Amino acid sequence: MKNTQPARSLTVRVLLASMAGLTLLTGAAVGINTAQASAFTNASDAVEYRQKTFSLIRENFQYMASMVRGERDFDAEMFKTRANTLYHLSHVPFEAFTGAGENATANSDALPVIWENWSDFEAKRDTFQAAVKELVAAAESENMREIRPKFMDTARSCQQCHQGYRAD
Amino acid sequence: MVIKLWDGFIRSFHWLLVLAIAGLWYTGGNIDYIDLHHRLGVFVLALILTRILWGIFGSESGRFSRFVRSPKAVVYYLKAPFASTWLTHNPIGGWAVILMLAALLAQAVSGLFTDDAIFFRGPLAHLVSQDWVRTLTSFHKQLFDWILVLLALHILANIVYAVRGKNLITPMITGNLKTEKNDLTPPKQVHPGFGFILFAINVTVLFWWLT
Repeated sequence: MKNTQPARSLTVRVLLASMAGLTLLTGAAVGINTAQASAFTNASDAVEYRQKTFSLIRENFQYMASMVRGERDFDAEMFKTRANTLYHLSHVPFEAFTGAGENATANSDALPVIWENWSDFEAKRDTFQAAVKELVAAAESENMREIRPKFMDTARSCQQCHQGYRAD
Repeated sequence: MVIKLWDGFIRSFHWLLVLAIAGLWYTGGNIDYIDLHHRLGVFVLALILTRILWGIFGSESGRFSRFVRSPKAVVYYLKAPFASTWLTHNPIGGWAVILMLAALLAQAVSGLFTDDAIFFRGPLAHLVSQDWVRTLTSFHKQLFDWILVLLALHILANIVYAVRGKNLITPMITGNLKTEKNDLTPPKQVHPGFGFILFAINVTVLFWWLT
């Protein structure tokens, strides 16, 4: 028994060492993948990220729209919540407009001209984000007469960017 | 002789359509007026559907069976377009009417399936797939340009006829055609009130369903 012990612990040590090595390697591999995904060097990931966040933006905007257009009773608290959520979301999809290569993906409606007119695109993005900020402030008034014009400003900022930068 | 050519319903249909299309042109693509655009579109749909019914059951001069002619008749007519008098649309004009009605019907119906990706969603968009919604939305935008071409041709044709001594515009306003011929049988008229009743029913049902 005593003779076999060192041999055993050697085996264990080799085993542990190789497991640790494997874990490190796997971890490193996972780490690289994570880094790639968040930096959107993968075009289809970036497109998917944008589409998902834009669809959340739309979801919240349409909910507010139903109140502005009188299809749903105005609930000031709910409106504020949605406006705030929209504010947070308003920055998210733009983090994924990382490079012109992305629009090569068949599933993207983002037109290549975005990257040709990048500063104009940025200006339109800023207009949208500023409009949302004002919408949030107007929502605090809990007064639909103050909210409506800010809501329409926001809607217009969506449309102005869609025209020319989003496929029909 | 003076012949009653166009009944009150057809004339109201025509000029209401002119006003509605002008309104639709102005409100289309303008996000502030999208709800008005929607209502005007449903109004036009009711106009077109009533005109189709009137083309079957209405006054003779407005019936499809009377003014939809064979290609042969069109070619024959085009050899001397300003020589003959028609107590309905002439052979080429009849096809222009069919084309305009079809285009406007397609435009009104496709509008019901559109989605502006911001906050307007057509009342029937939920019935079809997202791909179809996308297709019909761009169709709705593109078809309008063709409608403008058709309307321009329609106006141009009326100007050409007027210049060549055939005034087609006045009868569409007054309903009466003045002609030197005395041997023409006036088209049978159906009381326009029936047309207005049909229209009222169509407007009510369509607004209840689609707005």
